[in-house]
Amino acid sequence: MQADVRDPGAVRAAFAQVKERFGPVLVLVNNAGVRDDGLALRMSDEAWSAVLDTNLTGAFHCTRQALSSMLSARWGRIVNVSSIVAERGNPGQANYAAAKAGLLGLTRTIAREMARKDITCNAVTPGVIDTEMTAEGVAEALVAAVPAGRVGRPEEVAAAIAFLCSPEAAYVNGATLAVDGALGA
Amino acid sequence: MSDSPHSDEQILQAIRDELTRIKVPDAEKATMSTDWRDLDVDSLDLVELVTALEDRFTVKIADGELKEISGVGDAVRLVQRLSDAGAPA
Repeated sequence: MQADVRDPGAVRAAFAQVKERFGPVLVLVNNAGVRDDGLALRMSDEAWSAVLDTNLTGAFHCTRQALSSMLSARWGRIVNVSSIVAERGNPGQANYAAAKAGLLGLTRTIAREMARKDITCNAVTPGVIDTEMTAEGVAEALVAAVPAGRVGRPEEVAAAIAFLCSPEAAYVNGATLAVDGALGA
Repeated sequence: MSDSPHSDEQILQAIRDELTRIKVPDAEKATMSTDWRDLDVDSLDLVELVTALEDRFTVKIADGELKEISGVGDAVRLVQRLSDAGAPA
């Protein structure tokens, strides 16, 4: 099943399809993300909007849809996949860092709005992870700066997300969990 | 004069039912003179209630109108008015 998260109508339709086939969405992981790097001084409007639209607005579209079924169930788990650059910034990623920092604001606000309904919303901030996105070029200097001495594996981020979605994490709400080999410490 | 297809009592009962569904304590005791504060209905509860009433009575309640609903009676009258407006001539 695919949907363009930038398009609220497509997201609505996708959630309706999921509901029909699998039941209401009670766990949502906002992981859709793109990057289009360049120094802010020369960043195009298109590059700015493309990254914000997918990485931040897309998460909002999905969250809005999911909250409806979560409210009916009086239970829900939302995890936003942010980034270490949300808190540190990163030259060449004004759009990406702004979107990922926006996700943290979204996370905390949804957590506060929904806390009484047993719906949690948390974020993870991965550091340098071995994915297609970073395969395009991770500066050796950046990897060398990771105190753990290596890049992270996707399954290590997934494990943190799985915890935040578990019943045991019921009282963890509005939190940001770093998964970065101590890069942000 | 009203051409509304719904009586006040029907709308009131729908509000009690929806408040019960969203787990508002003492929802079944709601009357036309009950304020949200009496029932500890918060802003999120109100949004849920309004969404449910929109679906149930096929009306559209604007955000601006939401602010003017301070209790059960206001909600009943608003649904009644919107139903009137939407009723066939």
